[in-house]
Amino acid sequence: MSDIDVLDVVVRMIEEVVGADVLLDMTVTPDTTFSDDLGLESIEFVALADKLRERYGDRVDLVAFLGDMDIDEIMAMTVGQLVDHIESHQPAVSS
Amino acid sequence: MDIHARGLRFHVQQLGPEDGPVLVFAHGLVMDNLSSFYYTLAAPLAKQGVRTVLFDLRGHGLSARPPTGYSPQDSALDLLAILDELDIQQPVYVLGNSYGGIVAMHTALKAAHRVAGVVVVEAACSGAPGELWVEDIVNTLSVAALGLEFDRTQDQLKALGQRKVAKLAGNANALLNGTSLIDDLVGGSLLSEADLKQIACPVLGVFGGESELIDAATHLAAHVPDCTTHVVPGLGHTVLREATDELLATILAWLR
Repeated sequence: MSDIDVLDVVVRMIEEVVGADVLLDMTVTPDTTFSDDLGLESIEFVALADKLRERYGDRVDLVAFLGDMDIDEIMAMTVGQLVDHIESHQPAVSS
Repeated sequence: MDIHARGLRFHVQQLGPEDGPVLVFAHGLVMDNLSSFYYTLAAPLAKQGVRTVLFDLRGHGLSARPPTGYSPQDSALDLLAILDELDIQQPVYVLGNSYGGIVAMHTALKAAHRVAGVVVVEAACSGAPGELWVEDIVNTLSVAALGLEFDRTQDQLKALGQRKVAKLAGNANALLNGTSLIDDLVGGSLLSEADLKQIACPVLGVFGGESELIDAATHLAAHVPDCTTHVVPGLGHTVLREATDELLATILAWLR
């Protein structure tokens, strides 16, 4: 699975959480931060984490990943850091 | 996930094994939501085998915002109805932070057979400390309500491109100026001392040593039959966020 795939999925989920209008004027890249660039609220990040858990299952173990950070560290994360975590915990793809 | 209970949609999150002891979290007022537990206590407790249930109180976070029903007694009924929807019939622990502590105590009072224990973090539930808190919070919220209504804070922030702050201000405005929340707080939201004596389950109270609510710790210990208190020295109202590890250790020791 390539970078683009997971990034695309994450961007689509961000759009579902914050509403498409928020992203109209910007392109989300791996360097985009959740707090400063996207203005994501902490409760919206919870909703995003929930969607990721549904999509990728417990193997991605987002709870443990996030559990090692405090809320400020989580919100200061870039989209790319989250994508990297998901990719490194994905099972080998057999498509 | 969304749960429909008492005719409303509630945002609910669960972490931890399904067969563990259940701990339900109730958060604080207006600017607070379940994320304050999601990023602090929920994951470490889940790791210790506790099934944690987090929900956004009505009007807060991602739950629905009806015009009425904002007393802590109503929120206690919301909590019990959510447990019903999740088919959790075993007695649960309820942990409330700040205002959520009052919700937790009302839950124990309303449904003694369904509550195994209560953890109150920085909440004044009754007596003089409770009355002072209600007076203070009602004043603060009323001033904020006027400010939000007349300054058009949200529009100004939006114009500045401050999406997050604008959204928080918008939610606070809708809650304070569009619902009965402030009125519901004024009218009998506290427990009486007789109520405290009736609390049948063990209660753990955790307070900050420098908190304005510190008198509530002695009040709670004096009236609840089975009460343990723990004071975190040097901290104010922000125990959950600033003393997460100490709070977690205290809760785990108390649960065992």
